[in-house]
Amino acid sequence: MIKKAEKRSGRLIAVFLVMVLVIGSLSLSGCGIQNKESKSDPNTSTLGSGSRTLRILSGSENKELESILEKYADKHGLTIVMTYKGSLDIMRALQQEDFDYDAVWPASSIWMNAGDTMHRIKHAESISINPVVFGIRKSLAKDLGFVGKDVSISDILDAIMAGKLTFCMTSATQSNSGASAYLGFISALAGSPDVISQKDLENEEVRQKLTDLLSGIDRSSGSSDWLKDMFVAGDYDAMVNYECLMIAANKELEKEGKEPLYVVYPTDGLAVVDSPLAYVDRGNDKEEKIFLDFQQYLLSDDAQDQIQKTGRRSAYVGINEDNKDVFRSDWGLQPDKVLSSIKMPDTGVVTEALNLYQSELRKPSLSVYCLDFSGSMYGEGSQQLKAAMQQLLIQKIARENFLQASERDVTIVIPFSSDVMDVWKAEGNGADLEALYDKIDNLETNGGTDMYAAITEGIKQMSSYDLSQYTPAVIVMTDGASQNGFRDFSETYRADRDTVPVFSIMYGDADPKQLDQLAELTNARVFDGRNDLTGAFRQVRGYN
Amino acid sequence: MKKKLMGLIIVAAVILTAIGASVLKTRTAVTELSGYVGGEKIGFLEDEDVQKVLRKKYGLSLDYSKAGSLGMVTADKEGRDYLWPSSQTALELYKSEVGKPVRSDIIFSTPIVIYTHKEIARALEKVGIVSQKDGVYSVDLKGLIGMVEDGTSWKSIGLDLYGNITISSTDPTKSNSGNMYAGLLANTLTGGVATETTVQPYLEEIKEIFEKSGYMESSSADIFNEFLKMGMGSKPLAVGYESQLLEFTAQHPDTWEKIKDDIIMLYPTPTVWSSHVMIALDEQASAAIDALEDEEIQKIAWQKHGFRTGMAGVSEDLDVFQGIGLEPTVDQVVQMPNYKTMKKIIDALSEQ
Repeated sequence: MIKKAEKRSGRLIAVFLVMVLVIGSLSLSGCGIQNKESKSDPNTSTLGSGSRTLRILSGSENKELESILEKYADKHGLTIVMTYKGSLDIMRALQQEDFDYDAVWPASSIWMNAGDTMHRIKHAESISINPVVFGIRKSLAKDLGFVGKDVSISDILDAIMAGKLTFCMTSATQSNSGASAYLGFISALAGSPDVISQKDLENEEVRQKLTDLLSGIDRSSGSSDWLKDMFVAGDYDAMVNYECLMIAANKELEKEGKEPLYVVYPTDGLAVVDSPLAYVDRGNDKEEKIFLDFQQYLLSDDAQDQIQKTGRRSAYVGINEDNKDVFRSDWGLQPDKVLSSIKMPDTGVVTEALNLYQSELRKPSLSVYCLDFSGSMYGEGSQQLKAAMQQLLIQKIARENFLQASERDVTIVIPFSSDVMDVWKAEGNGADLEALYDKIDNLETNGGTDMYAAITEGIKQMSSYDLSQYTPAVIVMTDGASQNGFRDFSETYRADRDTVPVFSIMYGDADPKQLDQLAELTNARVFDGRNDLTGAFRQVRGYN
Repeated sequence: MKKKLMGLIIVAAVILTAIGASVLKTRTAVTELSGYVGGEKIGFLEDEDVQKVLRKKYGLSLDYSKAGSLGMVTADKEGRDYLWPSSQTALELYKSEVGKPVRSDIIFSTPIVIYTHKEIARALEKVGIVSQKDGVYSVDLKGLIGMVEDGTSWKSIGLDLYGNITISSTDPTKSNSGNMYAGLLANTLTGGVATETTVQPYLEEIKEIFEKSGYMESSSADIFNEFLKMGMGSKPLAVGYESQLLEFTAQHPDTWEKIKDDIIMLYPTPTVWSSHVMIALDEQASAAIDALEDEEIQKIAWQKHGFRTGMAGVSEDLDVFQGIGLEPTVDQVVQMPNYKTMKKIIDALSEQ
């Protein structure tokens, strides 16, 4: 008997739903192989070592709660396996017939409801409440006159237009914090209508203001927690993120003797999320019991007290008196603030807004793909690589994942082996871009591997563009170890004024150490494409 | 010896079979009925005390699928014994679409209320929209709707909240509480029970009021949870059933203790009743109506789930719910517009 015949719909839902249905028909080789993920995978954490296991698919922002979960696991003979994915990926995983987790814990109910087309979600409870806010280097916030004042999105826009402010934000089409902030921007810049409408999205003036605002983004990401890590490791002005991650960032910044962020709650464009933890019913009563006990603990006064100490607000009550000092006022935090959020528009408007972001309004991407076509990529490797690039370059397919290019995007493809094989360039999102795929499709594998040569060429190619007008990234995919080129490369890189992140996708026998070095040098990230190359490309595309 | 053992085994087998049969017999004595139910009654149906009385006293067990009040009438009823919507409108729809039911009766009812937070109630009280008597709050719905239509900001009535005054409800085309709120709006604007004729000039106005709400949840439970959990800034005013808060206080006394000073239930004057009418599709379900009207069950329905039963000596026991601002007798009530009028309103709201 179907007990939940009524479909719960959410805000962004239909949007993602449509996409997910289509995506579902594409191959998702990553599904169901989580067991094989290595322990060193940054996307998985195993907490505790008990005989019973609870597997949770979670948003990256919950990483900060691991010590609380681990204590519980140890005490109750549990192993809690946390797998971190972006909101969109969580929703996509939920849509699959085979779902390898006992529970989901995304940033917002939106994603969970959107994914729950099989009606397996039960016992959803909000674990914490988090507003999405701006954090600005304190001295800059002071210069901008933002300290101790009400700040509107227009004030922020003015600062950007005056060239005084840039910020980091996750991709609105890949990550919940970015999506929430972006909808807040629209509402504010459309003059705070009761709710955003189609008309607002069509308004040229609103579009222009949004374009101007988004031009202030200097780094993007597909993950909120990683954005925070990137921010702390780098040298940036500001970021948009969850309040709790601002607090986490400030703790780290303070420890490193760096300047903390001053938090600004935009008066006219605040979005708030509910962090729901829910059981996914696959007919296993024993796991349901384990889940319920665990959830009950997280909702207990004791656990909520610890959760508040990480900078999260509790459902119903907000923040206990004892924990208000976690929300330091010298960091701009306002524990007693009423979180008055914008109203979410209906799903049609949200879909339209997200498409608009991806194909027009966001700051254009300047992406260089360095693709390994060395001999070892022969056969399955190069086939998978071609399929992955098809997903990004053929716009109809890209659109299904909200990964389509904009008219202003620049895409450069550099196939390499022991040397650069060729350099192909396409501007915009038309035939030129799709022609890149044909060129890639015709490539044959041959020779050794030197990714540094390709990356160096990529950065050289970028120098003919004004990088301040783009979100630039080099994406290198390799399946083997390169000769000792890192030292030379790092010297050149450091000497260069511009700091382009070099993301890498690990495949086959790639040397993780080499890729980690690259990521550390360029404040970027390594993606594991060994199990799911297409998925890794899709993920990395959300980072610029 | 062997024979004796064999004999014992046979005797044991016979006894075991007999026990088994008797167990089976009592099992088969419970008739399992299946039907569609509005989500707000799931807590009641899942209540073990309710299930126990149904099973022991009446040999019944009610299985259910969650469905919207109007949707269930037109849904595939194959294998279903009953429908249990949350409004009379659904019964009217049933009569017009399917015909006369085997039997129908209102099991219990609950008025539509508007939930808010203390600070907001106080601000609205200052501008004369909300009034309070003996801890019971009522709201002048006509005045409140006027403020919504005029685009009155929260700031202008002294609240540090973003945007203009709006009332959140569920999607009136999908969920009963939103649907009833639409009916209540129509009544308020037309100044009586709205009819197909009188509502005509107000359709556009009703539509505009709903358009100000943005995304609307499709479940009354979801909107109520969000109202409670996310604090005053998320849903300053939310339409719901009185029973929802009463059930919450009974089921989650500890949480209620923490938030009770902040949560206010506003009774619109006049309001409408959500009548939980059971529609029996067969004779077995007719027996279920009798069972649900059992005094013991009616008592549980009130005390643990906040549904008003209208039964003498049950709902009058107001002491069960202290300090909630419960209206002792909800008598400022107007009828819902009839089904055809509601259809007209919903059709207008569904237009893009």
